Amino acid sequence: MTLTRSDVPASDVSSSVPTPTAPRPTALTPTVPTPTVPTPPPRRSMLRIYALEARAECLKLLRMPAFAVPSVAFPWVFYILFGLAFGGGRAAGPTTMATYLLATYGAFGVIGVSLFGFGVGVATERGQGWMLLKRASPMPPGAYFAAKTVMALAFSTVIVLGLFALGGAFGGVALPTGRWLLLAVTLVAGAVPFCALGLALGYLCGPNSAPAVVNLLYLPAAFASGLWFPVQVLPGFVQAIAPWLPPYYLGQLALAAIGVEPRSPLWACVGALALTTVLALAVARLAYVRDRGQTYG
Amino acid sequence: MTQTPLDPTPTSRSGLRGWLLAAVAVAALVAFFALLPTPKADRPAADAAATDLPSDTFAVVGVRLFDGERVLPRCDVLVRDGRVAAVAEHLEIPSGVPTVDGAGRTLLPGLLDAHVHTWGDSLADALRFGVTTVFDMFTDPQYAAEVRRRQAADGNPGAADLFTAGLLATVAGGHGTQFPIRVPTVDPGVDADAWVAARLAEGSDYVKIILEDGSSLGHPIPTLSAARVAELAAAAHRHGVLAVAHVGSAAEARLAMEAGVDGLVHLFLDADPGVGTTGSVAHSIADAGAFVVPTLTVLESLAGGHGGAELADDPRLAAALSREQSGQLRRTFGLPPQPGLSLDNALDTTRRLATLGVPILAGSDAPNPGTAFGASLHRELELLVTAGLTPVEALTAATSAPADAFGLDDRGRVAPGLRADLLLVAGDPTTDVTATRDRVAVWKLGRPAPLQASEPDAAPGAAAPAVEAGLVSDFDDGLSARRGAGWQVSTDRRMHGESTAEIAAVDGHLQVTGEIAAGFPFPWAGAIYFPGDAPMQPVDLSALGGVAFRARGAGGPFRLMLLGAAQGGMPATASFAAGDDWRRVVVPLADLPADLDQVGAVLFSGGPGLGPFRLEIDDVELLASDADGGQR
Repeated sequence: MTLTRSDVPASDVSSSVPTPTAPRPTALTPTVPTPTVPTPPPRRSMLRIYALEARAECLKLLRMPAFAVPSVAFPWVFYILFGLAFGGGRAAGPTTMATYLLATYGAFGVIGVSLFGFGVGVATERGQGWMLLKRASPMPPGAYFAAKTVMALAFSTVIVLGLFALGGAFGGVALPTGRWLLLAVTLVAGAVPFCALGLALGYLCGPNSAPAVVNLLYLPAAFASGLWFPVQVLPGFVQAIAPWLPPYYLGQLALAAIGVEPRSPLWACVGALALTTVLALAVARLAYVRDRGQTYG
Repeated sequence: MTQTPLDPTPTSRSGLRGWLLAAVAVAALVAFFALLPTPKADRPAADAAATDLPSDTFAVVGVRLFDGERVLPRCDVLVRDGRVAAVAEHLEIPSGVPTVDGAGRTLLPGLLDAHVHTWGDSLADALRFGVTTVFDMFTDPQYAAEVRRRQAADGNPGAADLFTAGLLATVAGGHGTQFPIRVPTVDPGVDADAWVAARLAEGSDYVKIILEDGSSLGHPIPTLSAARVAELAAAAHRHGVLAVAHVGSAAEARLAMEAGVDGLVHLFLDADPGVGTTGSVAHSIADAGAFVVPTLTVLESLAGGHGGAELADDPRLAAALSREQSGQLRRTFGLPPQPGLSLDNALDTTRRLATLGVPILAGSDAPNPGTAFGASLHRELELLVTAGLTPVEALTAATSAPADAFGLDDRGRVAPGLRADLLLVAGDPTTDVTATRDRVAVWKLGRPAPLQASEPDAAPGAAAPAVEAGLVSDFDDGLSARRGAGWQVSTDRRMHGESTAEIAAVDGHLQVTGEIAAGFPFPWAGAIYFPGDAPMQPVDLSALGGVAFRARGAGGPFRLMLLGAAQGGMPATASFAAGDDWRRVVVPLADLPADLDQVGAVLFSGGPGLGPFRLEIDDVELLASDADGGQR
């Protein structure tokens, strides 16, 4: 009995292997085998594939404390140390230090979880040979990336809500409810360009180099973008670099959300992040095509 | 079709559970955001006085009124929706409108301070003292833009209104470049028109120009030429805004008038050459039709006066001063007296200008040492009267005169249609101008402002540890200290100055050699000691009596300075001499007015005169408060 596609439950993602249903060629029927193009699963199951992949991705990372805990706790600890412990009530321009740093460390946190989740995640999984398996499955390629993005957004939300709780409870941060929401949405949505950047890095780096490369890019860029200290207090030559770094624009958008006039106009910030996303996706595609699974599969 | 173990196809019951979980998550999120703190009303709830006062629509009844120009002995003033609706000797107050009793009190327009430098909480500080509008003469344009945005949005009721020059016009290395704000300097080759246009694009309301060669500060600094000032003033006029000038001497004032500047934002401490004749600088100002902001308050502080400390001790103002403001009022510039410069010259010039009909504007130049936002404008009124203006003329200088000079027709007077920016005081400032300090109520756009400083929101755990008396260092083991974070070299190079110094422990004492060079306007170079556990960590010295040490040297006099943990302002400074022989020097802490409970560092420096010096110190001690004194 041949296992045909119609027998396989469409939701069984990881164990199905497509089999062409072409007739066996015989000596008397010199027909050219025409493999049947596998039909895509019905739409309802497509949604379920995405949902399952996303759930699996989140579960996987939750079960890896080495990733989950630092990426979530790091921005919280930074905020406690620099935003709360050293006098959050001090004036920072038109607002308080605790409020200002809430925005910038929020940006720092969502950027980190996106870069690491994608950059290190994709590189590692390539090294483990997952890509080959995923490509061989009926899971559409989009589900893989959508799942990782959902993971990044979920972790970003946790980081942001935790920062809000710390700021509101201990930092004396008080904003109109609309601004709280605006900041949360800005930060979580702002993770997307960095998911794309992380993806590009994940395809450019191998599993051994990815953590180092991501750290080497992420930490200095965050510092130079004014996410640890306001850009105004950084040395002049560092300030000149900041507008070339994508984290700077997310930081400015977050500050605009809390009512601090951004140093660059809003359209420039949004445009820069959109450009980052497009370029990073292009680079990721190029890296993928060039690699074609040869290095790691 | 069987389910495989890997197939987590949900049954209909777990599908419902999924929806339930999602609903709970959404509800939790909504609750979370609803519970996050939102800003409270603008004034602190603890301030009973403000909450007792009516807001938006009310009447002040039976009050003496100074309306910005004249005094009406008895008046009713009706305010409706934040604007003055009617002013008359007797008004029919509509029923339901709350009234404020004006008997024995005087109502004035909210005061205008014609020369400040704003940052942080300064606008809120100013409002407590009845100052409802300020004219800033140099601040960060981004900060100003944020304040202006709030003013446009809801009138910014918790703080004074801001008009600003934004960034000032100066040359590289000139006055104004010594602060952390980056200033695009007007160097040769810079197009004046483009520079002015750039400032206006940043949000400046007028242009401020620096004409200061440093003669009033004791050493020369580069400055704009008179020709450049004229170009900048002309450019400002072409763009439809005023050009005002900071001058440091009578000669510079005359140059500014010849250059077409509309107003001076300082007077000068030197005498007016040609005083009393038609060739005097005062006459040239009158002929030019310019206005003058004498800023006698900061001139008094520069000349070594203690008006600021007296202000801090005035019981009528004490409750409104924050701790930082009290500290600022007690600080001094620490400059040695300069020959030919005295406050009397400025007072005399002020009087002559007033006689010649030159519009005099009241301005404090806060937050320089010896000044504080809001409070110092009251000192300025007092000094204007000392100079010879009548109390009514002084009050005009803080109300209608600045409004007219800067072209504002919605404030500076109490008249129908104008903003209800009002100050109600007990007593009669039209006869005793210091009565302005006895504030009963302050309204901005009809909304009452707090009259007292809120609890200082110091960082949690901010009380600095007290330091005990005893020996700090005898330098027998090198640069180490018995307590604290030790000794380092410190010069004004970190503020882009040119002074140099080297320190070394030699033969059991500390040797400091260096040179005070021109560059930073308040130069220093020497050895700095940190009494806290980390550099600049504050300690509490208030229980101690003084600092003692043995000293000898050449190229004196020298200075001992206390640097506070709070940023900004000049350190408290005491001068001491040291000759060829070792002698013990005692500096009582009473000679170093500062926030003694927040001292971050003790600096031994040469200067303030320029030139090389050598200072050797040994056996540095902190003295208990009952120790005997030595020579200074």
